[in-house]
Formats: sequence, C-alpha cells, structure tokens
Amino acid sequence: MTANALAENVTRQRCPRSVSDPVQPPPTIIGQPRYTFALRRWIAIGITAAASAALIWGHDLIRHSLGREAVFSGSVLAGCLLLLMLLGVRRRLIVLPLWPVSVWLQIHLYTGLFACIAFWLHVPTWIASGWFEGGLAMLFLSVSASGFYGILLSRSAPRKLTGLSVQPRFDRIVWHRGQLAIAADEAISALPESADRCVIETYYRRTLKPYFASRPSWHYLLHPTGVQRRRLLAELNELGRYIDRDVSSTRDRLAAFIRHRDDLDYHRAMGYRLRGWLVIHTAASLVLAGWSLVHVVIATGMIH
Amino acid sequence: MERFLTPAPPTLVRRPERWDQPLDPSVTDADVAWLRSRQPFASLDHGSFPKTTPLDGVLRNDCRILRCEPGEVLVREGDYGGSAFLVLAGEVGVIVGGLPAAYLGRQPAQKLSWIQSLSRWWSRSPHAEARSIDEISLDNTSGGGASLGAVDDRPVLLLQDYSAILNARGPTRLGPGEMFGEVAAMYRTPHAATVIASTEATVVEIRWQGLRLLRRDRRFADQLEQHYRSHWLRLHLGEISLLRHVPAGSLDRIVGSVGLRSYGRMEWNADFRQARKLAAREQIEREPVVAMEGHAPTDLIIIRSGFARTSQSYGSGHRTTAYLGCGHFFGLDEIVQAIHRQDDQPAIPLQHSLRAIGFLDTLQIPIETFATEILPYVRQSELPESCQRTLRAARSRRGTTGADRRESVRDPDPTQSQTSGSDHPARTGHQLDHTGQMEFIVQNRLLNGRQAMVIDLNRCTRCDDCVRACGETHDGNPRFVREGLTHGHLQFVQACMQCSDPVCMLGCPTGAIHRHPTTGVVQIQESICVGCGICAASCPYESIRMATISDRSGNPYRDSRTHQTVSKATKCDMCQSQPSGPACVASCPHDALVRIDLTQSRPLQAFLEQRGPWQRREP
Repeated sequence: MTANALAENVTRQRCPRSVSDPVQPPPTIIGQPRYTFALRRWIAIGITAAASAALIWGHDLIRHSLGREAVFSGSVLAGCLLLLMLLGVRRRLIVLPLWPVSVWLQIHLYTGLFACIAFWLHVPTWIASGWFEGGLAMLFLSVSASGFYGILLSRSAPRKLTGLSVQPRFDRIVWHRGQLAIAADEAISALPESADRCVIETYYRRTLKPYFASRPSWHYLLHPTGVQRRRLLAELNELGRYIDRDVSSTRDRLAAFIRHRDDLDYHRAMGYRLRGWLVIHTAASLVLAGWSLVHVVIATGMIH
Repeated sequence: MERFLTPAPPTLVRRPERWDQPLDPSVTDADVAWLRSRQPFASLDHGSFPKTTPLDGVLRNDCRILRCEPGEVLVREGDYGGSAFLVLAGEVGVIVGGLPAAYLGRQPAQKLSWIQSLSRWWSRSPHAEARSIDEISLDNTSGGGASLGAVDDRPVLLLQDYSAILNARGPTRLGPGEMFGEVAAMYRTPHAATVIASTEATVVEIRWQGLRLLRRDRRFADQLEQHYRSHWLRLHLGEISLLRHVPAGSLDRIVGSVGLRSYGRMEWNADFRQARKLAAREQIEREPVVAMEGHAPTDLIIIRSGFARTSQSYGSGHRTTAYLGCGHFFGLDEIVQAIHRQDDQPAIPLQHSLRAIGFLDTLQIPIETFATEILPYVRQSELPESCQRTLRAARSRRGTTGADRRESVRDPDPTQSQTSGSDHPARTGHQLDHTGQMEFIVQNRLLNGRQAMVIDLNRCTRCDDCVRACGETHDGNPRFVREGLTHGHLQFVQACMQCSDPVCMLGCPTGAIHRHPTTGVVQIQESICVGCGICAASCPYESIRMATISDRSGNPYRDSRTHQTVSKATKCDMCQSQPSGPACVASCPHDALVRIDLTQSRPLQAFLEQRGPWQRREP
C-alpha cells in the first residue's frame, strides 16, 4: 500500500475527529465558585439568619414548656464546635472529593457566627460564673474574637501585599534580602574613585550597610511602618547637594534598594502576622475543644 | 582623557552558524554518498540548492540514518514530531487508531477511589519522589508487551508482539522510498498514525529544517505539496466551520487555490528565551508580519496552527487588539465589505496588522475564491456581527437598486440548522477589556496555556496551602512553586499550563511525554522516561523539572548498567488520578487559585467579572 493510500486510510478513520487539534477542549475555568462572592455572601447570611431564628424559636419553646433549654443550646454549640473543627481535617485530607477547602471555610465562618448566637443563648451573661465555666466562656469569646480578626486580616492583608513592588515567597525572603545586600555592595564598589564616591560610600558604610545586613526589628515585625524607609530616603536625598550627576544614579539605585528592602520586610511582617494568627487561633481552638469536651462530660453526668 | 577618546577594542565572538549542531554528528561522507545514491535524493536537482545550504550539507547535518529493529516504535499517534522519516530499506507498518496506550508503554491515569486515595495518602513515604520499582521501569511490568531498549545507543521503545499486533490490525505497510511524518513535521500537527518497524529497516530521519531546504527542489516540493493538497488539505478545510456547507465541487476549487504559508520559527521556544528579555516594543517589531494594516485585503487568512496577534499603530508603536489561535480568521470584515461594496465605494484597507507570535501556519484563500466558492454558502448567522451589518446594508441596497452582480449570503435555514448543529459566528480573535492585560498575556506567550494556574493576589494570603497540597499528592515534591509573572493582581504561576502548542513533546526519544487523548493533559509516563531532560530544556516556561527518584526508604535508584542515579521528568499532571481534581485548586481556602484556559479570552474575562467591579480596574 502506498503513502497515498495511507492518507486515505487515515482520512477515512479520523474524519469524526479533528486532525489539527484532536483533543477535547478543556474546562475553561477550574476552581471558579458557582456564584459571585456577593451573591454567595447573601445566600450564606440568609441561611445563617434562618438557622439562628429557628434556634432562638426552639430555645424559647423549650424554655416556655419548662424543658432544659441549656441542654438544647449546649448541644447545638457542641455540634457547631465539631463542625468548626472539620475545616482543619479537610485541609489535611485534601485527596478526598469533599468540596474544596474554600467551601469548608465558608461553612466555618458562618457556623462560627451561628455558634456565637448559640453561645449567647447558652450563656446569657457572656461570662459564666465559676473559674471552670468562666474560663471556658472566656476561651470561647477569645477564639471567636480571633476568628473575626482572622476574617479582617485575610481580607485586608492580600490587598496590602499586592500593592507592593515585589511578590516573594515567604521562605525566600531571607535569600532575597541577602541578594539585595550584595547588589548594594556591588553598586558602591563599581563607583569610580572620586570625592563624590567618598560621600556616598561613607553614608553607605555607616547607615545603609548595617540596614541591608540586619534583620527587621521585632518592633517592625509587630507593627510595620514606613518610618524607617522614609528617614533613609530623606537622608539619601540630602546627599544630593554633595554629589554630581554620575554618582547620583548610584544614589537612585540605593534608594530603589531601600524601597525593595522595605517591601521585603513588609512581606515578612505580614507573613508572620498571618501565620502567627493561624497558629494562635488553631491552638486556642484545640484547647477550647478539649475544655468543651470536659464540660460536656460533666454536664451529661449532672443531668443523669 | 585619552582613554575616553580611544574607542575600546571590540570583543570578538564567533557568530553561530546554521549547522553548528548537526542532527547526528556521526554521519560520514560515505553515508552522504550512499544517501545520494538512493531515491528520492538521487533525483534531486543539485542546482536548486544555494551554495550556503547545499544538498550534501542538508544530508549531512539535517538527516540521520536509523537502523531499526523489528518492533521498534518510530512514531506514535497523537504525538507531536519535528521530523519526517523516509524508508530506505525494509518495511514499516502503520496503524491508525485503536492501538491501546499500554502497547506503547503508557498507562492511562486511572481515577483512584476514595479508599485507594486515602490508603495511598496514609502510606505515603516520608521521602520526596519515592516510587515503587514498578512505577519507574518497564522491566517489572507487563507494559502491554513494550520494553525499553537501545539500538546503536539510541533509546527506543520495542514492541515484543509486534507481528501479532500488526497482523491483527491489517496495517498499511510502507516500503523503500516512502515517507511518513512529514505533515506533522511541516505543519505542527499531531501524528495521525503509529508507525512500527515490521522488519529490520533502515530509515532516514529528516528534521523539519532540512525538509524545508529539500523543498527547494521543485519536483520534490511539488510532490509533497500535491500529496498534502490532495489528501490532507481537504480534511483541514472540512474542519473549518465557515466551509461546512460548501459543496464538494467548490471545495476542490478551493483546495486548488488556497495558499499554504508559514511564518516564524518552529522552534520558537529557543527564540522566546532571548525575546522575552526585550522591551515589549522591540518584541512586537521582531515578529514576522503576515498582513499589514492599511494594505488592501487580498486573502482571507485562516490560522491553522500557532498564534498570532492583531495590532494597530498607536503613537510610534503598535497596540495589540486581539490574539488569534487555531481556526481563527483574519481580514473577514474587510473582505466581506470589499465583496459587497457599491461600485463607486472604495474598498476598506486592512484595519489591523497580523503578526506571527513564535510559529504560525496559515491557509490563505484568495478573495476571488472566497467570493465565488465560499461566501454564497455561508449562513449569515455564521459571520461576525460587523459582517452581518455589511450584508444587511448590501441587501437593502439591492432591494432599492435591483439585483446585485454578486451572489448573496444564504439566510439561516432552520430545518438544516436542526440537522447540522447550531451556528457559531466565525472566530476572529480573542479580546480582553484591558489592553495592558492582553499585551502582557501575548508578550509572555501565556496564551499558549490551556490550563494555566492563575492566582488572584488580592485574595491570596500567601499561605502556600496549594503548594503543600501539591506535595502531598505528588510524592512529597510539589510540582510548582508559588512564583511567576505578575500583572496587576493576577499572578500567572510557573506551573505546567498543558500548552496548546506543547513544544516539550518534540524530541522525546521514547514518547514518555504525551498528551492524554481526551483530557488534553500533557503527562509523563515514568516507566518509559529515560531522564534525558530534553522536555525540561524545551519548555519555554521552565515548568518541567528533573527529579532524582528514590525507593521508599529514601535510597536513590541507580541504573543497573551505568550506576548513575535515575532521574525522571516531573511536572503538573492536573492530579488526574485524584478524585478531588487538582489539589492546588481544592486546597485554596480563599478562592484565589484557579486553572484557566488562556487560549481564549472569555474565561479570564469571566473570572475577573466574578471578582467584583473593583477587581476589573486596569492595573
């Protein structure tokens, strides 16, 4: 059979499929939520409000029929705590097709809100009496407060970080910092010998070199501000009156390095804040779960 | 002062030359002489080759002689290839469709069940890239009868039961003087068949650069083109939506008049490494111009493969207005206007320039052919809105001035529409609301990505849960790092995009890297990956990495012959075997990460629209 016959054979057998692109088109977006964020928010708020209304109605009904309304609200609260803990489980068992973690996070947020209402019904005075119950109530309120802070932080921090000039990985920030120090050193070394060089080199050795070589202070990591950056840039700008145009290009590069370094430090600070918050929230949640379990065991024992 | 006046001596470098890297450095004068004595090389006209690229040079540098063992797999259906093959002695069998993937040493990714998925996660090794011995070598699996071997130090895939396979499928057999793989090599399309050596055979491999040079011989070029026109071009034209109602007679006339033109370099990935360092303005100026803004339209240009951009002069530069891919048209508006204009009305010149991005292969239908053989058979609803307006205007004129000398476009026929599917307007390019975003996507060739990983930085808390999840589902070694090109609040992460034009697949000696026939995911079959690193070096986005493979106790595997560590190419496989789908997407708690088809503009537009109005602002 000749090559022409081969082409005919191929043509005959492949006609239903595309020759130039035999592959099916892929799904156009994977991971896009079904609803817009605004619509999703309204749906979730609606469901939470309906569930809360049902809870309050049920609680009142039990109270007016002289039932144990505390057992009811406590059971709901314990169920909420269990559901809240499932987010962590889902994050670790990513291989299972149990909705994306983002859906679980939404469940977590609105269950948390619902749990606050259940807590208000369960402990109307907010802080219960006695060290055990009072401590448990304080812990619940702390975890709830940290949860609300987490929502604010996880919504505001990304925008702040996106506005910066660099987008480094958290684990590579130290490396980037080192590279910046080397680049600054090289910029100074490349200057030709002159009186101008002395001016900028002296300032570099005294002020900028220690800045590039050091880590950001604890104060900065806890409360990052642009004070230091502005001070250094102003000082560098002041040197303009002593140097000519050739050296001022190096000064401009150093100014760019300062801005870059400040952006890296800001990333570091926000990274620590986001990670630190998660560690505290998770640890407090675990303690709350344990403490609540003891509380449930004691309460069940007292009822029986 | 003198040192400023005296110019510094120039640094001397040797300019690279065309054949600095021959396909096979071991080809000798005797081999070239022998090839010259065989057909079709014996009948080629030496005078048609310029002195800088003589026939002997082509044979020496762009060809290599392969001795093939019976059962050796030469070409795999669906794979991309950059070479044509000419049988010199012996016989090869061609199988079209139906050869199970396992016969080629490939195991299609099976979706794991919940239980399997959980047990694999539970029993995962603490060491990165740990595999069982079955997963990395064909010696320990049945592999459907395929085994890795070497012929003249060349890694090859051998089919053990090749005669039974060939006999069972009644294959086409090709003998001395016959060529295969030339269509895939010249037009960057997937191979249409699998070719297996059925006897001991000698085959000459001609890389596409050499094949282009050989086409300088008029007879050889005519033979190739005639073969392509009479068999493949009809098929390609038949796939174009605008031509689906064209009768057979007209199609024959179109086949005879259509021009086949390619632009840019097929190995665009090599150029792109340098070009991406240039300023955007320089980049666009270096791109080959296919059609120039302001010129009269002469042909309807159809993109057959590759990418192009349309641009308009803006200031002293060019502004990108759309990007085009396979199946898109250029010049349709201007051509329809030229055909249906009034006699005293001037033709509109081309409103945009068309430039090839990397490599571009086009079909060019002359305006006269389009007017007489295609437009009368096109439904109005299949044309873009702007063309429909032109046609309506022409029709209203005809209503007042009598019959037009040109034939009109057909009205939509609802009865036919029900039988032959719905009408879609001819695609004339993808556009985004934000010019800057489109320029960015085109300039960085992100438009090649069918499933690009995009992160909305305004929602990403940089928690790296996506990277951790990827590591957990891929033997402790994530297939990407959360880094990449950033434009505004979008980060295009450096993860495999399952490219539309997968240059990584060119040159794989065993076909280990291949595209899944239905999902389109480019995947690596580790049992036949020889760790040569060609794919990793070819990937223009640096999304493939070589990894040293170890056993479950962390000891690296070593090759039994060379005692070198075994490495395999690794890349994102879209978690095809995972029931949860891509782990990176499933693990993102803030809906920041998505996989998007960037070969079209609509998904990105939809993604941005869902993020709310403040997210759509031009960065």
